[in-house]
Amino acid sequence: MSWPRLVWASALLELQQLRRSRLFVALTVLAALSFLALVSLFGLTGSNAPLALIDQDSGPYAHRFIQALAAVPHAFTLRPMTASAADAQLREGRLVGAITIPANFSAAVEQGSTVPLEVRVDNVNNDLTFDLQRALPAAITIFGRDLGLPGIRVALVEHDLLAHDTGFVAYLVVSARALDAFIVAGVLGAIAVAREWEGRTIKLWRLAPASPGALLAGKLMAAGLVAAVALAATVLVVIVGYHVVPVAPLAVMGGLAACIVMFTCLGAWLGASLRRSLLAVPLIFGLVMPVYIDSGALEPARFDGETVWIIAHASPLYYAVGVLEWAFHGLRVTPEPVLVDFGILFALAAASLVAARTALSQVRWR
Amino acid sequence: MIRTVWAVARNDLAIWGRAPGIIAAALLPALGMGILVAVITATIGMQPLALVVEGNGPLAARMAHLLQADAEAYLLSPMRRVEADQALHDQKVAAIVVIPEDFDRQVVVGAARVDLVLNNVVDMDLADDIRRSVTRSVAEFDAPQLGIVGELHGPTAGIVLPNPFRVAIAERDLRRTNVTFPQYQVIPIIILVVISVGLLGTALLTARDFERSTIKLALLAPVRRGWVIAGKLLGGVLLTAALLVPLVLLGAVTRFLPSCRRDFALGSGTLKQLLSVPCGWILPVPSLTHGLAVLALVGAVTATAVGLGLLLGTAVRGTSLVVMVGLNAAVYLFFLGGGFATVPFLPAWLQTASRLVPTSYAIAGLRQALFYPDLVGFGRDLLVLCASAAGATALGTLALARGWRRA
Repeated sequence: MSWPRLVWASALLELQQLRRSRLFVALTVLAALSFLALVSLFGLTGSNAPLALIDQDSGPYAHRFIQALAAVPHAFTLRPMTASAADAQLREGRLVGAITIPANFSAAVEQGSTVPLEVRVDNVNNDLTFDLQRALPAAITIFGRDLGLPGIRVALVEHDLLAHDTGFVAYLVVSARALDAFIVAGVLGAIAVAREWEGRTIKLWRLAPASPGALLAGKLMAAGLVAAVALAATVLVVIVGYHVVPVAPLAVMGGLAACIVMFTCLGAWLGASLRRSLLAVPLIFGLVMPVYIDSGALEPARFDGETVWIIAHASPLYYAVGVLEWAFHGLRVTPEPVLVDFGILFALAAASLVAARTALSQVRWR
Repeated sequence: MIRTVWAVARNDLAIWGRAPGIIAAALLPALGMGILVAVITATIGMQPLALVVEGNGPLAARMAHLLQADAEAYLLSPMRRVEADQALHDQKVAAIVVIPEDFDRQVVVGAARVDLVLNNVVDMDLADDIRRSVTRSVAEFDAPQLGIVGELHGPTAGIVLPNPFRVAIAERDLRRTNVTFPQYQVIPIIILVVISVGLLGTALLTARDFERSTIKLALLAPVRRGWVIAGKLLGGVLLTAALLVPLVLLGAVTRFLPSCRRDFALGSGTLKQLLSVPCGWILPVPSLTHGLAVLALVGAVTATAVGLGLLLGTAVRGTSLVVMVGLNAAVYLFFLGGGFATVPFLPAWLQTASRLVPTSYAIAGLRQALFYPDLVGFGRDLLVLCASAAGATALGTLALARGWRRA
């Protein structure tokens, strides 16, 4: 039988297997959508912390100060309430803190006095405490600047490199496409191969007069195709649900295609090495999150320090995130040019094909 | 009865011992999440900034000192302008802070400025943090009490220095305990380990019994089926405990690592950061009351997970499917339970969703018992978890009893 016909037959067989495992495939796709939702949830944390606002003054300067608090981007969600309500919520850990504007605030500011504002902080979590401690002076600065108060000698003048900031969630949902590719394609690739050992059909591969390479190519083509459909669904969710429209759609398709090829083959390699889906699938889940985080998933990897950045180069997700953030947002998140990221991504995809083929070549001998 | 229950539990533990794959499958995702927290700790935090001081006067030097003194906010590297521009282009730094040549002259006339050239690629996690930190340092020039020392020890102690912004902060910390980000995150990881091992482990063992038809041997045994089920539940609980206890002991031992001591001086920057990663696993030593509360809570979570595992293994049966369902469930239970978030800080609809998962009560209760001096709200958390444990055990038992009839 000719090689293309073998590949086609193997692909059809694998598609039939996947059809019989519809629930498994659905759960894999669900995992992809879950990670999309969950990185969004992660993006919502660490910002807009609830801060009780106890306004005992209600004067014009108190009003201006509240406006200044609200103007600090992503810092607080102000919750006006009474002191006793704030006490109760602070005890239950429902607030990051409570700020009290005293009764004489407006009068004192009018007279030029400096008014100390009491801020009670639930300081158990250092991370949130630091955020609050940085944000309050920013609000005070905005207050002084907007009122044009005399005596302020130094101002901060900001020059942004980009026309606008990209939202954290918008950034995360794009980098999470690479994560999803890893999970979906990796799991399907691993299952496609490990199943042959679990069902003991690998013996038939040894006896068959066909090339294992052709059989593997067919199986991985089918797994990759299903992974592509699943990923397309998540990309659609990103575009329609999150309103993140790619600036370079072809680059999105190219980048994701390379990811699918690479991760399907890596999954196949893992499946052939471990020979059990029971081990391969949890390993992919266990590996994927740490590797994802150390790939510039939250911010450009080099900002995390040279050591972390150098380690990140070992992860294919680093290049994938570089390509996808450029393709969706037009952002350059790696010091390397995007074309280099693209080139390495395709080279890794080719290398992973060889790795998967090598893992299968052991079939003849074991 | 006790002998029968113990024999079934021991048999399950023996199978676990012979099938390290099942243990690995149950532990790997939780350990991966633990590594994730460690990586996040090493990666998120202080942003690298370049400081360019073009002014030569004493006021420019003072401004530079204020910026450099705020060491907990960013990693500041003094550079020449050309070097800084190149570093910004190469992403070695996220921003450049420039103190201009005429800084001293402009301060005298009240019109000085500090320039911030910012790579504003992402808002919340990066650009906003830098803006706030630099703003605070710059404001300190005119209002020294707006710095962190002033916030904590100035107006709070009744010392208010007049400042041109006319507002100062008197910060009062409400808790005696404060913990770092990784220490705060260890709690959900512990709960995830319990959930993963209890749920996935028990489910995989149950599914294996059905796949290999070994479940029929239990049916043929001349003992009450209820005792067999009790033995299976006990096996799951014991295994979860066996895997959890070493991790908790590790948390107790970590505090003795040299790199976790305050005076640890080896290395700097990233190296120091990496060496201190295990310190995130330091667990506080609770008082006797709080220790008992922790034991009760972990016990209830374990029973919930094992009961759900029994239910999952019986309902799904195929090991591959069990793995996928279990992993999906563990991911949702972890994140919706507040794995990476403080639940009361989330949007209202997410808080409602979070109330429906037992892990949110487990994480909140464990944090309360370990980090807070009182047990406010702990009773409610424990009650919900005990109810979950009872419900999950009943469901698991019923499912297995039904499964046996069809076996």
